[in-house]
Amino acid sequence: MQDIYLLVSGPLAWAAWAIFLFGSIYKIWKTLDTAKKKEQVLFSYVSLKYGLRSIINWSIPFNTVNMRLNPALTAISFFFHIAFFVLLLFVSAHQVMLGEGFGISWFTIPDTLANILAFGVLGACIFFAARRLTVPEVKYVTDWTDFALLILVVAPFVTGILAYYQIGNYMLMIILHMLFAEAVLVAIPFTRLSHMLLAPLTRAYIGSEFGMVRNVKDW
Amino acid sequence: MRDILYRYAIFCAIILCMSFGSVAFAEDTGVFDVNAFGTLERPVSQFDHDAHMEYPEIDEDCSVCHHVYEDGKLVEGESSEDQACSDCHTIKAQGSQPGLRTAYHDQCKGCHIDMKKGPVACGECHVR
Repeated sequence: MQDIYLLVSGPLAWAAWAIFLFGSIYKIWKTLDTAKKKEQVLFSYVSLKYGLRSIINWSIPFNTVNMRLNPALTAISFFFHIAFFVLLLFVSAHQVMLGEGFGISWFTIPDTLANILAFGVLGACIFFAARRLTVPEVKYVTDWTDFALLILVVAPFVTGILAYYQIGNYMLMIILHMLFAEAVLVAIPFTRLSHMLLAPLTRAYIGSEFGMVRNVKDW
Repeated sequence: MRDILYRYAIFCAIILCMSFGSVAFAEDTGVFDVNAFGTLERPVSQFDHDAHMEYPEIDEDCSVCHHVYEDGKLVEGESSEDQACSDCHTIKAQGSQPGLRTAYHDQCKGCHIDMKKGPVACGECHVR
């Protein structure tokens, strides 16, 4: 088991981060390149001012009409995304590995808070799944890949919680935890998780068109 | 929609109680002197001192683990078993001298990796 643990926490982690990084650069380049080839005109409407204005306004909870129309979705979505990055960056166990591997570490959160956030993320994912099953307009655009992605995203949290509480085979759980997290990293550039990379581009374009051409707010 | 929200709130409340409960009832077992850390985030590491002394790589040579460093260099043949780790290793690292937690982790895991056996993952030592 030690061999597998060292493989997953060492070379595989390096590989996953590398694929994530270069895949992300490729994905952004590919998207801009496609836009350039098919709709050159898009670029003449992009403005830094209106693009940033839209991104900032859509980053503030309950700031947009659409967010206020769906308060539960807004609250849970904001919580999910914030908790995701807080857990990734500030869990003490992650910091210990960073510190011992690279000699760098920063602020950590208490494990109690990490637990609350992790269970909250599980709840949020259950909410997202329920929403896909029950809200008609969402159900209409949902297929099995949406659930597969949701399961992939929730898997590091489920195995992380099981490893933290040492429920089941600990070594299996901690290895699966790292493997699933690496799978999420690799999936970001190549699946709809790429919204992490592309959402700012979409927002910037829509913000520019609404702001510069139509002279209206897009939130 | 409201129904789902209520259910979600109740779910979160139960989870909150569970995680607070698990922290409140965590117990302290172990042989390392960990007072220097103050409040502990994880359970104290399990460690069998006698078993380690018997291993052929250690063979009752205390200095294998209870080392002495002077000016950043290992002093051969000198041992420090009469001292606590925290006598030298402060919570924060001092120059090339690792902080207390890193010292423990490096000392245990480093050897386990070299020997290709023994625990290396968090929960293998910090057993609940």
